[in-house]
Amino acid sequence: MKTELLVIGGGPGGYTAAFRAADLGRKVVLVDKRERLGGVCLNVGCIPSKALLHAARVIEEAREMSAHGLAFAEVKPDLDKLRDWKQATIDRLTMGLASLARQRGVTVVSGTAQFTGAHEIVVAGTDGERRIAFDQAIIAAGSEPMALPFIPTDPRIIDSTGALELARIPERLLILGGGIIGLEMATVYLALGARVTVVEAMDQLIPGADRDLVAPLHKHLRKRCEAILVGAKVTAVEPREEGLDIRIEGAEGARTERFDMLLVAVGRRPNGARLGAAAAGVKVDASGFIPVDGQMRTNIAHIFAIGDVVGQPMLAHKATHEAKVAAEVASGDEHARFDARVIPSVAYTDPEIAWVGLTEGRAKAEGIAIGKGVFPWAASGRALSIGRDEGMTKLLFDPNTGRLLGAGIVGPNAGELIAEAALAIEMGADATDLALTIHPHPTLSETVAMAAEAFTGTLTDLLVPKRA
Amino acid sequence: MTLPITVPDIGDVKDAAIIEILVKPGDDVAIDDILIVLETDKATLEVPAPSAGRVHSISVAIGDKVGFGTAILILEESTGAASAPIVAASSSQAAPPPPPAPAAIEPITVPAPPPPMAQTPATGLQPHASPSLRRFARELGVDLTRITGTGPKGRISREDVQGFIKQAIDRPAASAGEGLSLLPWPQVDFAKFGPIERQPLSRIKKISGANLARNAIVIPHVTNFDEADVTALDAFRVEVNKTQGAKVTMLAFIIKAAVAALKAHPNFNASLDGDDLILKRYFHIGFAADTPNGLVVPVIRDADSKGILDIAAETAALSALARDGKLKPADMQGGCFTVSSLGGIGGTGFTPIINAPEVAILGAARAQMKPVWDGSAFQPRLIMPVSLSWDHRVIDGAAAAGFLVTLCTLLADFRRVSL
Ligand SMILES: Cc1cc2nc3c(=O)[nH]c(=O)nc-3n(C[C@H](O)[C@H](O)[C@H](O)COP(=O)(O)OP(=O)(O)OC[C@H]3O[C@@H](n4cnc5c(N)ncnc54)[C@H](O)[C@@H]3O)c2cc1C
Repeated sequence: MKTELLVIGGGPGGYTAAFRAADLGRKVVLVDKRERLGGVCLNVGCIPSKALLHAARVIEEAREMSAHGLAFAEVKPDLDKLRDWKQATIDRLTMGLASLARQRGVTVVSGTAQFTGAHEIVVAGTDGERRIAFDQAIIAAGSEPMALPFIPTDPRIIDSTGALELARIPERLLILGGGIIGLEMATVYLALGARVTVVEAMDQLIPGADRDLVAPLHKHLRKRCEAILVGAKVTAVEPREEGLDIRIEGAEGARTERFDMLLVAVGRRPNGARLGAAAAGVKVDASGFIPVDGQMRTNIAHIFAIGDVVGQPMLAHKATHEAKVAAEVASGDEHARFDARVIPSVAYTDPEIAWVGLTEGRAKAEGIAIGKGVFPWAASGRALSIGRDEGMTKLLFDPNTGRLLGAGIVGPNAGELIAEAALAIEMGADATDLALTIHPHPTLSETVAMAAEAFTGTLTDLLVPKRA
Repeated sequence: MTLPITVPDIGDVKDAAIIEILVKPGDDVAIDDILIVLETDKATLEVPAPSAGRVHSISVAIGDKVGFGTAILILEESTGAASAPIVAASSSQAAPPPPPAPAAIEPITVPAPPPPMAQTPATGLQPHASPSLRRFARELGVDLTRITGTGPKGRISREDVQGFIKQAIDRPAASAGEGLSLLPWPQVDFAKFGPIERQPLSRIKKISGANLARNAIVIPHVTNFDEADVTALDAFRVEVNKTQGAKVTMLAFIIKAAVAALKAHPNFNASLDGDDLILKRYFHIGFAADTPNGLVVPVIRDADSKGILDIAAETAALSALARDGKLKPADMQGGCFTVSSLGGIGGTGFTPIINAPEVAILGAARAQMKPVWDGSAFQPRLIMPVSLSWDHRVIDGAAAAGFLVTLCTLLADFRRVSL
């Protein structure tokens, strides 16, 4: 088999690159070892997790309203049906991808790819091996959950993929890792009735997000979880018949407790080191990332790499944007370049946390001067009418030009709201632009305009102390 | 405590290239350990750690162009208590890497911190331009930082980019009269005629080459030649070296003599600025120093107030730095006049190219014993050929001849330098 452009990996990075290149007239072969296209994101990542989070939200909202005159019977989750529904969502999307590939004439090959040279791979599939020669290649091999060497293998010890399978709801669940994935799973399993403990080594949940954004989530989880242990670590796991004896060491000393299930969510490891990349001369760094330039080229000019395998942040929307750049450059557009100024991050927890661009923590660490506009949702009619007043919208501006540098939002739907801030940053909008844009009332989106007004000094919905 | 490390003040330089990064996130560094190496058009510069600590993250990559204040990396300063090793949980996305595992446990590979791509400097200094306009500018190869936008609040519009291009196209014709209409450079397939080897030019050569070509084309050069009788001076030099244990070269004397000649002929200590001549009341003398990577011109500051021994020591020190590629940009700035001495190598004369915006340059070739007629007999005298290239827009032939006479007189009877 021979092709102009070979794409390794059928995740958001890989399929986007394959489709874009096909649209630009290239002959494309897309290889993935999974049965279905969609990669981690569609099969065991973004999509199934969001389906389950939706279920969790329905449960939680029903519970919340029971105190306010809408009492439902306590939810009885039927895991088989829930799983089917989640799977149906995945199926619909992955089949959609398969038909989009067909319509574009992209050849999909299933099997595990290994480089055998700078212009050839061998694909090991269920029906044997086959060689594919290519002129150019795009590596979009993604990442997988990181395992910890001291943790034994046991069916009760799972990673995010296991958690999304929803095999059963454990009585006591320990989640190792208080990052986005760990806390999203905490949100799901709490709603479904598990007693959850979270252990995080850093001194706050979701390190990387500003502390004041994480605080409302932390507070909310503290009420719902058995324990949230930050600055703590798991040092040993002993599987016994009756449960997992897990040793936790933290500020308050060490203790061993029994859990029914352990979810390890300590980060993801790029798949760069498993492709035989050396045979093609492609450089892979010590952690398994493949270094690329602004046009997504590896050190080998005709081989590109995109998505989780090239670096943080490991997010699907970063992968798809990089994919278009790689496909366009590979198809002869020398001017394409990854030029996004910011990449938004979202934790789809309850409440959601979203941030984009500069954070206050980074501004402080790097000595960047900022001006701040904050709008607490307790003053938002819409937030109160959905029964949630703990949210906050925070905007960071350049004190000289007033241009938006970063934004952080915590509260229901924060992930939807952050897109406006991302657009504002890309367009170079300033606080006045945001304040003078009419936002519909009553919506949570108003909080963005009001945070800008808190900075410009025109806010009337709150009494903001005058700036000196 | 985290400590952001930025590019130190390296003189008037905005685009030093990062050529080496000697640390990676997680590395422990001691105070003064070298973190990164920068290269400007003239020198390399090492950035040391201001205190001990652990590298948290690096926000630059090899090849990045940086200037004063650019953030390089973040250092976590070590505090008294050693931080406890932690093996367990870290977060999933965009989290800083956890500290390394204790030795007993198999090391875990942790995801590296976000690459610089996701960390574009978040300041208002970025051009005020939308994503589509940034793409448009890329297609035309336009650097948006060079455009002042005409839209509200300085926003750059499509028309601003087009105007910039149009101006760039019109400009050479306007400023260079008819412009230079040159034949294309000859294209020769050298390998057709015999074996060849291709070697990339060093960065210094590329940059000095472009400067020299501009200077050679733009400045109307004229070169005058003369000979200096350095018999007595050289004898004096040998004696100083013997009695003082010093290592004084002829260059130090030439620099000192050049200062005296500049004082007598102030128009040579000048620069053109449009229709004005800037006359300098200070005497910073550059000298050409050969290095394995090409020619550089370090500057002796205030050479008028320094003695021969000081100047000799300083030229030796600067030459050594130059050979090691460690000159700082400041070491090469502010020159008034340049001396290029090939005396140590050979030759009977050459026509040096002026180091703009200076207006003259002195070349010195190898001194040789020559018979000189003293009116009644030939005397063996040590004669050093000198040449002076000068900018005819500022200086004329008579002035140049006068300058060389002054200089040769001073070299022949060095006592006059102190007059
Ligand atoms: C639980 C969870 C929730 C997430 N939620 C979100 C979210 O809400 N939003 C978000 O933006 N991101 C989310 N992510 C991250 C997101 O899934 C990834 O960033 C995204 O999938 C990366 O896309 P990719 O194309 O780089 O790689 P992947 O999606 O990882 O795809 C790579 C593909 O390559 C295949 N492959 C690898 N090696 C080979 C080989 N040698 N031969 C053949 N095929 C190979 C793999 O099988 C895989 O299908 C989540 C991840 C997880 C685990």
